[in-house]
Amino acid sequence: MILGLSIVVMLCSVLLVLMVLLHKGKGGGLSDLFGGGVTSSLGGSSVVERNLDRLTIAIGLVWIVAVVALGLLLNQGGV
Amino acid sequence: MLGAFVRAFRTPDLRNKLLFTLFILTIFRLGAVIPAPGINSAAIREQLEAVQAQDTTGVFTLLNVFSGGALFQLAVFALGIMPYITASIIINLLTVVIPRLEALKKEGQAGQGKITQYTRYLTLALAVLQASSIVAMARTGQLFQGQIPVSSYMPNQDPLTLVTIVVVMTAGTGVIMWFGELITERGVGNGMSLLIFTTVVAGFPSGMTTIFQEQETWVFALICVAGLVLITGVVFIEQAQRRIPVQYAKRMVGKRMYGGTSTYIPLKVNQAGIIPVIFATSLLYLPQLAVGLIGPESANPVVEFLNTYFVTATHPVYMATFFLLIIGFAFFYVSITFNPAEVADNMKKYGGFIPGIRPGRPTAEYLDHVLTRLTTPGSLYLAVIALLPMVALGASGAMQNFPFGGTSILIMVGVGLDTVKQIESHLQQRNYEGFLR
Repeated sequence: MILGLSIVVMLCSVLLVLMVLLHKGKGGGLSDLFGGGVTSSLGGSSVVERNLDRLTIAIGLVWIVAVVALGLLLNQGGV
Repeated sequence: MLGAFVRAFRTPDLRNKLLFTLFILTIFRLGAVIPAPGINSAAIREQLEAVQAQDTTGVFTLLNVFSGGALFQLAVFALGIMPYITASIIINLLTVVIPRLEALKKEGQAGQGKITQYTRYLTLALAVLQASSIVAMARTGQLFQGQIPVSSYMPNQDPLTLVTIVVVMTAGTGVIMWFGELITERGVGNGMSLLIFTTVVAGFPSGMTTIFQEQETWVFALICVAGLVLITGVVFIEQAQRRIPVQYAKRMVGKRMYGGTSTYIPLKVNQAGIIPVIFATSLLYLPQLAVGLIGPESANPVVEFLNTYFVTATHPVYMATFFLLIIGFAFFYVSITFNPAEVADNMKKYGGFIPGIRPGRPTAEYLDHVLTRLTTPGSLYLAVIALLPMVALGASGAMQNFPFGGTSILIMVGVGLDTVKQIESHLQQRNYEGFLR
C-alpha cells in the first residue's frame, strides 16, 4: 500500500513538473521582480494553454491528495 | 482611503483580479502547512517551541523566513521560491558572461521568453539539489542543530521515503513557480514578489506574539516603535528620487508641432530595489548547501572553514561579506538595468537634452556621474538596513526573534508599495481618485 502510493506520488510529481514546464513562462526574470512596472499581457490565453491549465489543476489535485494520504499512512504505520 | 477600497471591489475586473490573487495566495499558504510524506510536523512544532528560547540564529532561520516557516516544518512547499530566485540570479549573472545569453536578451520578447524557460529548468534542477540537501540535513538532525531527536519527526528512513520527500518538494517548487506566473498573468502585481511578501508576512504575527510573551511589555512597545520608525524610513528612502530635467526641442513635422515639453528622468536613490539583498542572501546560502551535501561531520578542512565562518549569521566575517556583497550587487544591478549611454542616445534621437549639458557623450557621462553618486548612499542604506538585525542580535541576546528583520522590512515595503501602485493604476483607468493622495 505504501509502496503503491509512493509510486503514485512520484509519478504525479514528475507529471506535474512536466505540465508546469510546458506552460509558457510569463513575467519571469528578475527584472520584473520588485518594481518592473505594469506589464500587461494582451491577448488572452489560447485553447492549448487553457486545456493545459485544466490538466495541471487535475494532476495537482491528485498529487496533493496522494501526498496527504501517504503522509497519514506513514505516520500511522511507521510509528 | 476606505472609499478607495470599496471602489476597488466595485470594479468588476479589478475585483476578479484581487480575488484570484488572494485565492492563489491562500492555496500557497495551505501548501506550506501540509507536511511532506513521512514527516511528523506536529512533533517538530512541539519540540521547536521547547528549544525556541535557545539560540536559533543560523542561516536557516533567515531561510525559514523566506519560506514562511515551511522549511522548519518540512512542508510540501518547504523550498518556497528560493530556488526560483537563485536560478534567476544565476541566469542574470550569466547573461553578462555568456555571449549567447546576451544575444538572446537583446532579441526582445522571444529571446526573453527563452531565457525565462532556461530559468525554469534551472529552478527545478536547483530544487532537486536543495531538497536533497535539506533532507540530508534533516536526517542527520543538523537542520535543527541537533536539538530535536530525528526519530521523533522522521520515523522511517528507508530510501523510498527519502526519495519521495525529495520528489514531492521538487514538484512543490514547480507548483509555486506556476502560482507565481498565474498571479502575474491574471492577478494583481508581480506573482513572485507577492509570494515572497506573503511568506515574509506570514511569520510576522507569531514573531510578535513570542516577543510579547517572552519579553517585558516595555520591550515589546519599544520594538513596535522601532519597527514603525524603520518602516517609515524605508518608505522615505524607497520613494526618494532625483529628477534630472530634460528639455525637448520643438520641431515641426508636416503641419504639426512636436516636442517643446520639459520632463524629467526620475533616478531613484535606491534604483536596485531589494534585489541586491536577496542576491547576497541566496549567494551566502550556497556554502551552507555545500556543507549539507558533503556532510557536516566530515573532517574536510573546507567544511571546517565554512562551518566556522559562514554558517552562523552573527559571525563578523559573515556579516562583512554580506555587507560587501550587497554593495557590490547594488552597483552591479543598477549598471544592468540603467544604461546611461543608451538613455543619452535615445534622448539625442528625440531632440531632448539636459539643460546646460551637451547631448551625446557628455550627457551619458553626467548621468553616470549622478547615478554613481546616488547609488553610493543607496547601497550603503540597503546594506545597513539588512545588517541591522544581525548586529542587534550579536550585540544583545534580548533582541532575538526580532520580526522586523532588515530583509523582511525591505521586502515588505518594496513589494507593498509596488502592488499598491499597480492596483492604483488599475483604479485610475475608471476613476481618478486612488489610494495614494
